[in-house]
Amino acid sequence: MRTRPGTLEPRPAVRAVRRVAMPRLLDETLTSGLHLVAVRRPSVPMVEVRLCVPLGAGLVRHAAGPLVLTGAVTAGTAHHDRAGLADAFERLGGALDAALDDDVVSLHAFGLATALPTLLDLMNEVLTSATYPAEEVRAERDRTADEVIMDLSRPESQASEAFRVRLYGHHPYATPTPRPDALRRVGAASLRAMHARIFNPRGAHLIVVGDVATARVARLVEERLGPWLASASVGVAPLAPLPPVVPGGIELHDRPGALQSNVLVGGAAPRRTDPQWPATALANLVVGGMFTSRLVENLRERHGYTYSPHSDVHHARPGSTVIVAAEVGSAVTAASLVEIRYELGRAASLGVSDEELEGARRYAIGSYLIRTSTQRGLAATLAAYVTSDTPASLVFEHPSRIARATLDDVNTAAREHLGPGSLATVIVGDASLVEPTLRALDQVTTPSP
Amino acid sequence: MAPRASRQILERTTLGNGLRVVVAPDHASPLVGVAVVYDVGFRSEPPGRTGFAHLFEHLMFQGSAHVAKMEHARLVEGAGGVFNGSTRSDLTTYYEALPAGALDLALWLEADRMGAPAVTEENLANQIAVVEEEIKVNVLNQPYGGFPWISLPELAFDTYPNAHNGYGDFTHLERATVADAVAFHARYYAPSNATLAVAGDCDPDDVVALAERYFGSIASGRAPVAGPWSEPAPREERRRVIDDPLAPQPAFALGYRTPDPVGDLSHHLAYVAAASVLGDGDASRLRARLMHHDHSVTDLGCSIGVFGGDSLMMRDPALFQVVVYHPDDVSTDELTTTIHEEIARLGTDGCRPDELDRVTAAFAGGFWQGVDSVNERAIMLASLETIHGRAGLLDELPDLLGAITPAAVAAAAADLASQHTARVEIHPTPDGGAS
Repeated sequence: MRTRPGTLEPRPAVRAVRRVAMPRLLDETLTSGLHLVAVRRPSVPMVEVRLCVPLGAGLVRHAAGPLVLTGAVTAGTAHHDRAGLADAFERLGGALDAALDDDVVSLHAFGLATALPTLLDLMNEVLTSATYPAEEVRAERDRTADEVIMDLSRPESQASEAFRVRLYGHHPYATPTPRPDALRRVGAASLRAMHARIFNPRGAHLIVVGDVATARVARLVEERLGPWLASASVGVAPLAPLPPVVPGGIELHDRPGALQSNVLVGGAAPRRTDPQWPATALANLVVGGMFTSRLVENLRERHGYTYSPHSDVHHARPGSTVIVAAEVGSAVTAASLVEIRYELGRAASLGVSDEELEGARRYAIGSYLIRTSTQRGLAATLAAYVTSDTPASLVFEHPSRIARATLDDVNTAAREHLGPGSLATVIVGDASLVEPTLRALDQVTTPSP
Repeated sequence: MAPRASRQILERTTLGNGLRVVVAPDHASPLVGVAVVYDVGFRSEPPGRTGFAHLFEHLMFQGSAHVAKMEHARLVEGAGGVFNGSTRSDLTTYYEALPAGALDLALWLEADRMGAPAVTEENLANQIAVVEEEIKVNVLNQPYGGFPWISLPELAFDTYPNAHNGYGDFTHLERATVADAVAFHARYYAPSNATLAVAGDCDPDDVVALAERYFGSIASGRAPVAGPWSEPAPREERRRVIDDPLAPQPAFALGYRTPDPVGDLSHHLAYVAAASVLGDGDASRLRARLMHHDHSVTDLGCSIGVFGGDSLMMRDPALFQVVVYHPDDVSTDELTTTIHEEIARLGTDGCRPDELDRVTAAFAGGFWQGVDSVNERAIMLASLETIHGRAGLLDELPDLLGAITPAAVAAAAADLASQHTARVEIHPTPDGGAS
């Protein structure tokens, strides 16, 4: 169809971009054992502060306590109740929230850059005097239980939990989301004890990004978080590495009445510190990590099987994992798996083209610039690196590492990490609809719930 | 502690064909955000064609006169950029964030599809299938799918533009033809019905010259008049119950009317402040009382607009909504009564000046975080230019909100308390949810 002609001009070339100086990175471990990472980014008059604390294996396996703690840590301090604390942060143009992701508890605060001393004072207050009022804890654990019930009712949550168990076997990372009954047993006294154990400055990472000079950040942190820093004790032991993935077969989880199936295919990937990581990142982009990837072109644009197929690499302390995910119509579940395995196998056996690689390379560098251009984005990226035991400086080396990977490197990475022969498959869907056809493709196991 | 609003440089101009151009240079990073916003959304789509505005947004990514299928994505990503589109009540937005050297390319791509998207039978059938899978992911296969953004307007409004489901019925989507797409494009995708905004590492004179070069030759067309969509408020309480076999616990949403966000902006902003005093953050009244004192709700929030907080990017009418998730042993009626009591109390007793200071400071912080991203900034500028006729409103918003008085917030709450509300309830069915 043509309603009007398009533009009359020829397609313009893309010009080279001016080089930006790498920002000065403050990256040091204080005498208390706190790892401080700071970057001055004056794009807006704000500041981001993230405190990230890795958990030991015991708490990763028994995450009910840490999960309730993230809701209850802001429930009151020696000087503020919950509403008062929220109010104090909002008056600084910001907020404070806590979260548990995999094996890391984090406190995330932001506000006006000029308010950094007060932000740190308030964080110190939470860290040294959170009270965990009994009644608030009771309410919080019930609310957390309700939230978990809600989360587990989502098909993507069911699928990712099943996939963790499938991939990681007996490793703490295979632990399912804490169940409501375990959450409802968490008591205030245990949270108070756990608070000191979790928020230990030794081994914790503090990331500060904003319109504040790094020398001032370092001084303010020592000064304003001083009381908390004095509480350092022995750090947590590292987690065992992730076990090798046992590839093959299809593990099918029944979700009666499901309109779509969640298809997950994945396995081990190199860590960010691994010399093979940049090439693997590029191979993953070509296969399913960007819109112009083979999986999107095939499953979405050619077949209309799914809205948004994608392939991502998830990095954590004990190892990294590549995961291809798609939510596909029930009737085309088997057909979608055929196409996913085909695309993975094609990349692993035939490699990628020079043109695909160069497109992925420019995308990797440009999208990295975009992701790290905001204070929040840069702080989140630095946090993701340091909490997966990757030096913060590698954040800024990412573009040059990506620039150096060769076609051979990328094809080797695709063969070693993306081939269906080394990956596991989990599908959550209506078994009565999808199982017969899946059995025609591969061995199907249906674990009892 | 409230920060000053920014006073960024803003260049505004209108090309001969009616395309509005807004440029906000900022050299903090070597990136540009490009947004093209069309003055069309769910509310403009024809009856019998629900979901068409969103389906058409998908078609705009299927190629154009000089761009093959998938090539738009390939060129943007291959230049190191990211892109997406979105369809809302009144606006359809396309954006790219890219390294600054790809600005010309982004403008060329947007101009080519503004001029002539390539809609074929094959692309249309493919994208109908993709949109249906999108609706399954986000609505049909999801607990609380479409709640409350689809279900609350259906109950709270009577006229088709405001009340219908913007994702669309599958029967309507499947009936869409290439001829529909041609007509829709001709009517709504003219330069005179669009705004281009560029933010980031660029020179305003260059951008205006490039806009002229790439978009200048596109015939003007006649911009359709959007709306008015206003309709009388309900004269009675409205209730609707939706059984959701996937939902693990009950939820409900209350809808109230607000003043016109465009014609009566300062009055409308008093309702924005009231929403924040009542239900935004743990310091807000309803969250402090129902979540943290009575422990009777799992989650609660107040906002205005269809997607929560987007009321400045739409025309009248915009709904003030209270959205609540709660355990099933708590009564919906009792919660509703308490919420009405709190709203009425804000109306009669007013709010403390320091409550408003909190709201103003939090709003300003959120403002700065938003404009830290070049594409967010470009989208907000283009949206405000389209809806309010002035992109400069973006920079004025923190001050405008800061000027709202406690008396104005009290008056807003008194009005809310006097209204007949629409209440959509989600009831989990007995076998629903997780074990």
